[in-house]
Amino acid sequence: MLQDYLPIVILVLIATGMAGLVVLLGHLFGPRRPSARKAQPYESGMRPIGPGTRRMPIRFYLIAVLFILFDIEIVFLLPWAVVFKKLGLFGVAEMLVFILILLVGYVYAWKKGALEWE
Amino acid sequence: MDLGLWIEWIVKAIILIVVLLIGFMYLTYMERKFLARFQNRYGPNRAGPVGLLQPMADGIKLIFKEEVIPKQADKLIFILAPVITVIPAWVILAVIPLGSIQLFGRTIDFSLAGDLNVGILYIMAVTSISVYGIVLAGWSSNNKYALLGGIRSSAQMISYELALGLAFVGPAMMASSLSLARIVEAQSKTVWFAVLQPIGFVVFLVAALAEINRSPFDMPEAEQELTAGYHVEYSGMKFAMFMLTEYTKMIVVSVIAATLFLGGYHFPFLTDRWPWLGPLVLFAKVIILLFGIIWVRATLPRVRYDQLMALGWKVMLPAALLNVFITAGVMYVLGMIA
Amino acid sequence: MDEQTAVPFIDVTREVDLAARFPEAVIVDVRKEYEGYIVNRDRLIEVATAIRDELGYDYLSSVTGVDYLPDGVMEVVYHVYKMTGGPGLVFKTQTPRDEAVVPSLVPVYPGADLQEREAWDLLGIRFEGHPDLRRILMWEGFAGYPLRKDWQEAYFEEEGKPFKNRWPDGQVYRIEDKNPYENNVQYPADFIPEEYEPENDALLYDSLKRSIRGRDPELETDVVMVNMGPQHPSTHGVFRIAVALEGEKIVALKPVMGYLHRNHEKIGERNTFLQNMPYTDRLDYLSSLSNNFGYALAVEKLMNVRPPERAEYLRVIMAELTRISNHIFAIGTFLNDLGAYFTPALYAIKERELILDIFEATTGSRMMCNYFRFGGVTRDLPEGIAEKIHRLVYDRLPQKVDELDLYLTNNEIVRSRTEGVGVLTAEQAIAYSAAGPVLRASGVPYDIRRADPYSIYDRFEFDVAVRYHGDTYDRYLIRIDEMRQSLRILQQAIKDLPEGSIQEGKPQYQVRVPAGEAYGRVEGPKGELGYYVISNGKPNPWRYHVRAPSFINLTGYETMCVGNKVADVVAILGSIDIVLGETDR
Repeated sequence: MLQDYLPIVILVLIATGMAGLVVLLGHLFGPRRPSARKAQPYESGMRPIGPGTRRMPIRFYLIAVLFILFDIEIVFLLPWAVVFKKLGLFGVAEMLVFILILLVGYVYAWKKGALEWE
Repeated sequence: MDLGLWIEWIVKAIILIVVLLIGFMYLTYMERKFLARFQNRYGPNRAGPVGLLQPMADGIKLIFKEEVIPKQADKLIFILAPVITVIPAWVILAVIPLGSIQLFGRTIDFSLAGDLNVGILYIMAVTSISVYGIVLAGWSSNNKYALLGGIRSSAQMISYELALGLAFVGPAMMASSLSLARIVEAQSKTVWFAVLQPIGFVVFLVAALAEINRSPFDMPEAEQELTAGYHVEYSGMKFAMFMLTEYTKMIVVSVIAATLFLGGYHFPFLTDRWPWLGPLVLFAKVIILLFGIIWVRATLPRVRYDQLMALGWKVMLPAALLNVFITAGVMYVLGMIA
Repeated sequence: MDEQTAVPFIDVTREVDLAARFPEAVIVDVRKEYEGYIVNRDRLIEVATAIRDELGYDYLSSVTGVDYLPDGVMEVVYHVYKMTGGPGLVFKTQTPRDEAVVPSLVPVYPGADLQEREAWDLLGIRFEGHPDLRRILMWEGFAGYPLRKDWQEAYFEEEGKPFKNRWPDGQVYRIEDKNPYENNVQYPADFIPEEYEPENDALLYDSLKRSIRGRDPELETDVVMVNMGPQHPSTHGVFRIAVALEGEKIVALKPVMGYLHRNHEKIGERNTFLQNMPYTDRLDYLSSLSNNFGYALAVEKLMNVRPPERAEYLRVIMAELTRISNHIFAIGTFLNDLGAYFTPALYAIKERELILDIFEATTGSRMMCNYFRFGGVTRDLPEGIAEKIHRLVYDRLPQKVDELDLYLTNNEIVRSRTEGVGVLTAEQAIAYSAAGPVLRASGVPYDIRRADPYSIYDRFEFDVAVRYHGDTYDRYLIRIDEMRQSLRILQQAIKDLPEGSIQEGKPQYQVRVPAGEAYGRVEGPKGELGYYVISNGKPNPWRYHVRAPSFINLTGYETMCVGNKVADVVAILGSIDIVLGETDR
């Protein structure tokens, strides 16, 4: 069973090697003439105001939390999709209830304005 | 364990990556040529006959470019980010079935792991990883454009991943399997799932465009606002790797779309008779889809970020869920459920 | 119109008697060939308010500072107009040169904002009460006021052209050899060029912080200040926008310009009158023929000449072709700003090329046309070009405009990106002195070709395009409308094109311009393009000022942007349609 994944492991290793090689290529052949101005972060040619890393708008966290919620739903849906023919009506109803519960949360988030981008 | 099997895997893995690399190079060429024709231009036509060597020239140029690393950047992550971005794009296609032929008395499967029984889950898992590269690239650059661009793109990608994931559910239901090989087989027995799953197919195409940050959802490319988004500080080969990822992903989603909804390597009558045509059939389908993606880029302006997110959460997600319901309902009515 | 030869030079001031209304504050300007009133600067605001509210001159067209060095006086000239049409009113105020202070008119006419900053920057006239009096075209910390008459540029040679023989000994010399750069450059006190930090923009960022509006009171999101430009792919040149963002939302925005500044007006004052003509081409380099038009009108007013009939028609034809080429290009690049990857732009450029072919055949140049002369134009249409224009305006262009309309106007993404975005109401548009398509898209049907006709525009049948929402979408639509109207004018003009001479009198290389002042304005493709020219009878203009629509239309830019998303900054800028050559001058 686990053996099925062996080719993928090989592929990942080779891909990593290739990616490393590509980075190395640029590293080996690219010229290197650093200067203070060049090392500054780019902000349309102006000296940046304030730090480059800073607090982000809260919206992004909301999106992340909502994503986790629904992503788990999908992860549950997939195995169900495989076997739902065997489960019959019970399986369909069961999943319907599960999705409906999540939908309540979805409607709540929508009404609360979590999906608005103001 | 059989040594021959090991060699087969290694050879297939290398072939896969090399095919993707060449695919990337000539996809850039194809895009530039087609865009040019859409726009009354010629496109690249100097390097080699009809510009066929242009991708080489670009690659060589990029190798010899200076790679600037901004002073306040987090160096390790800054260098790792493109690597992390590119690996998922290369390994997704391992699970795509390509058909098989009988040769030397044994069955040779063209694909690396097309039979993997959790193929769809694998695709979803690997796609999720590629978000990391983008976030890290944006964060480690210590640049406001890059940070905002990185966060934006990652929020966009995870939002559309939901719709994308739900679009997978339909084919999985029809085929009763998460294995892509089974899904293709199921389509070869009936018709393409694009016909049976029209909503799912459309949702998949739109979500895929957003997932790979292509026009009209190309926020990271939104040079009009954030210059270039998360990869603004990258130059030389590291920049090339982000481009490589983008174009490889174009190929990847086209392959996945062709496999899930357009019958994959299978084409009625054709591949039944000559199974070795499998990879070529898939290739043809992929080219058509890629042409569509390029066409969209030549045609449409970009949607705004808030509109993009609204579309993802308020339209695509419910539509995809609805598709699951409809599929289950119709299958029940048709008595396909025990 | 009682007769066909209506004089385009309007008697500007006879309509109202301001001096009688404010006997102790206002006197009539009695200098020879000058017009308007001189207002005592202490009562300027009161008089200006009355001019706006009681007399109905609600639109401030132009603010010009003039340095009368021999008299030791600085003068600020205001040109105001009624949005209902008709001639304008000129009023001036004077201030001693060594301590030039004038009350700011921003509270009365918000459109004075950028223009007063310009006068402060270039002439050192301080506008008391201006909310944000910073340098605008020169950099902060620049020493001196370059438009003052006693200021000399780094390679100063003589006060005015034509310079004395450059080949005095039969050998060319360059002024750079005689006058090395260091000799004539002033630096502020304790300024060391090597250690200067050019990005020191404390004043700008302070101003940006002060004007932050509309923050979310609940969320304490960081306000991020970002520079877009000057080295930015989509600011239409080296234009810079300092934006304060709360998340994606714009809470404050300041346009920063001057990166392409070359002191056009100073060079214009060194040049002779005729030498300025090719120089106007470089203002809005996409519509050089319109620029020529405005300048020719202003100087012709001073010289009191009028071009012959055929020349008038040629002028109109060229100006309207320019408008179409400008608008079609503006729409193409606007779609680029919306993120369409060059396809509309390249289709637009294809049509523009056909128009440029006509320019090249007629004037000898595709972009820097240098076609107008005082009292005429340089060349007649070459053989076959009239037919070419005929085909273009009757067949090809109408069809192509329809095509553009068909493919773009109802595009779902275009509409959702532009409708309701960057709204400028009619009142705001007038207050901010917006001009041209920006003004008319806000529901003000003001077109100088109709409201205050010049040249022979009163002979043609066309409608003033107007749209009512004042959003980005309407600013796009109005350009389509205007192209159609321009085509109507062109169709009439090319049909009626009379035979005859194209130049009043002989072609001259050096013109005599009598002393006086004149303000000539045309409806350029980007809006009201005005030239304020003062002659003192010498070969060079004493003052040469350009009322640049690309510049003044930016006054309302912040208002349009605040509350919108960061992606809209570029879309709105594209819908204003600026050209940096004109903005920065």
